[in-house]
Amino acid sequence: MSPLAFALRGIVRQPGRAILGIAGIAATGALLFDMLMLSQGLVISMERLLAGVGFDIRVTATQASPMAGPAIPNATGAVAVLEKVPGVEHVVPIRVGQALVDIDNHSDQVTFMGANAAAHGPWTLVEGREVRPEDSANPPGVIVNRNLANRHGLAVGGNLTLRGDCIDNSSVPPTVFRVEGIADFPFDQSLQLTAVTTLRSFAHACGDVNADEADMLMLASSPGADPAVVVEAIRGVRPDLTAVTNEELVARFQQVEFSYFRQISFVLATITMFFGLLLITVLLSVSTNQRLGEIAALRALGFSRARMVSDVLWRSTLLVGTGGLIALPLGVVLATWLDRLLQTMPGIPANLRFFVFAPRTLVVYVALLTVTTAVAAIYPMQTVARLPISSTLRSEVIG
Amino acid sequence: MHARRSRFLILSALIALATIIATRWWTPAILHGQQNEQLPAILVTRQLAAVEGLRIGDVVTLAARPDGSSAKQFRIAGIYEPVADPTRLAAKRFEARLHLPDMLELKADAADPQSTESVSAINVTLTDPQDATSFVREAAAAIPIPQLTVRTAQGGDGSARLFVVLDRFHFAIAVVTVVASTMFLLALMVMLVEERRESVGILRLIGLRKGRILLQVFAEGLLIAVAGAAFGIVFAVTMQGVVNVFFQWRYDTSLIFVRITPHVAMRCILLAVPLGVVASLISSWTLLRSNVLDLARR
Repeated sequence: MSPLAFALRGIVRQPGRAILGIAGIAATGALLFDMLMLSQGLVISMERLLAGVGFDIRVTATQASPMAGPAIPNATGAVAVLEKVPGVEHVVPIRVGQALVDIDNHSDQVTFMGANAAAHGPWTLVEGREVRPEDSANPPGVIVNRNLANRHGLAVGGNLTLRGDCIDNSSVPPTVFRVEGIADFPFDQSLQLTAVTTLRSFAHACGDVNADEADMLMLASSPGADPAVVVEAIRGVRPDLTAVTNEELVARFQQVEFSYFRQISFVLATITMFFGLLLITVLLSVSTNQRLGEIAALRALGFSRARMVSDVLWRSTLLVGTGGLIALPLGVVLATWLDRLLQTMPGIPANLRFFVFAPRTLVVYVALLTVTTAVAAIYPMQTVARLPISSTLRSEVIG
Repeated sequence: MHARRSRFLILSALIALATIIATRWWTPAILHGQQNEQLPAILVTRQLAAVEGLRIGDVVTLAARPDGSSAKQFRIAGIYEPVADPTRLAAKRFEARLHLPDMLELKADAADPQSTESVSAINVTLTDPQDATSFVREAAAAIPIPQLTVRTAQGGDGSARLFVVLDRFHFAIAVVTVVASTMFLLALMVMLVEERRESVGILRLIGLRKGRILLQVFAEGLLIAVAGAAFGIVFAVTMQGVVNVFFQWRYDTSLIFVRITPHVAMRCILLAVPLGVVASLISSWTLLRSNVLDLARR
């Protein structure tokens, strides 16, 4: 009989304790798997979100996070300069403010944006058409997100009245817009209402005299162009502006914004590992101690020391391996639940995920479980290896 | 006498020279210091001072616009530790506090006549903080400005919701940990009880009733559970300092991340002790249902 089959029979012989042990390992493993997913989840999710937008460079006035700092003055001039930078395909200046929309006798706040997108903007159009900067239709066009369309019962071609709420101490008359399209905005929160129009219409609706400003310029580099090289070129022509690639933005988020979840996942993963290791060691040790007579008898019958030591290692492998395998689907279910829970945090885009599976996660998970299996088996293996056969048989049989 | 007089003259000349030099050097410095004293005073955060190498008395230039126009000079009158804000945990606290008139002057916008007349918020200190809710209600009703929001300084809805969600997240993690621990605990108790199979058989053979043995198991389980819970709390109290020091260093903040309150300790005891006792009773019960001779292996 192979050592694996022998160890399997030994475990099956005591199903109660085996099931409890495996269940405990599965629960611990699921938590470990989730913490590994959490450690990189936000970064991977943010990378995917940024990549999905179709723009790979962001330009702002200062080093503050996009939308958190001051606006870029003379945006038209900045766009004209940046469009001539080699490797830049197109530039979309964006302004972000607030507006109020009246729904069911009460006002709701809308994230109101102005963007001059010649080709396409940083959103995904699901219905209708884009709003072009050269459009001079009256009423001006607007694109709304699905939340706003659903809550206001809006369809393409319908009218939407917004009251600009962009500047302190100002009160501007409401502006009527024609809904030209319905779009998904990648960074929208789950209940966020969003509307985007041209910069000119935005300035008009906000009663803004400083119309030639942009909170951010979004740049799409040409196919084949390296965004890092394009950013260097931008820094050369406009050193007063701050340009960052998606990679740099993610790195910045990773260092600052997401660090809490990275730290907490590291701490919890370490505790889970230690906890799991301790308990598996105790389970194996107690189990081995209970089998000392049996092991001594098998040694006396001719089983080699290496064979009995490998039996302990196989038992550890079977327990941790089975528990670890069960932990994977369990971890996915748990991650889905925890992700939904964290999604309710204010300010989190609806498409951002905290727990994201990546092949690297599985590799690290398997590596950690392998280490746990080996380390947990060290002490019981030592016990078996040093077991004196005759005295053990004597004490176990005679007492 | 002559030599003494010469020494006196030389000493006087040296003192006079030193006075002239000192006056020449110090006068501009004193004047400069006096000029600095004229500048409006500001406070800067410890973090900003550390990064920029600022000290009390230094003169800094601040501008409200990114192009640096309309910049003004200020004198650093003090360095302060910003109030710890969990919602801005990861943010670098590069902040300065200005007197309100200086701030309004710095941010003045020629196109907006109201820019020097408006403030973002008005903080009110009540004689009795317990009156906050009623004050909010009365002030909101009495001040007829539609855009004015009156609320208590207990954090906005956003920050409150953030911590409710984080609390739920940590609770969910705790539930999973408790489930895993319970499984292991049961497995361990089953093995421990199995180890005492013969002892229980002999106790049954000499006449002890099941109830009596179960009572003994209950007492043992209770002792182990209480000792385990106590050790866990002592360990957590010890570790909270380590965790706080690490995260305070990591985020350069005075926030407290972990605090083992009597309420938390009590919750742990109320969860751990019954769990330990129940685990020992369940694992023993299966043993007690077995045949006495089987237990004694006879």
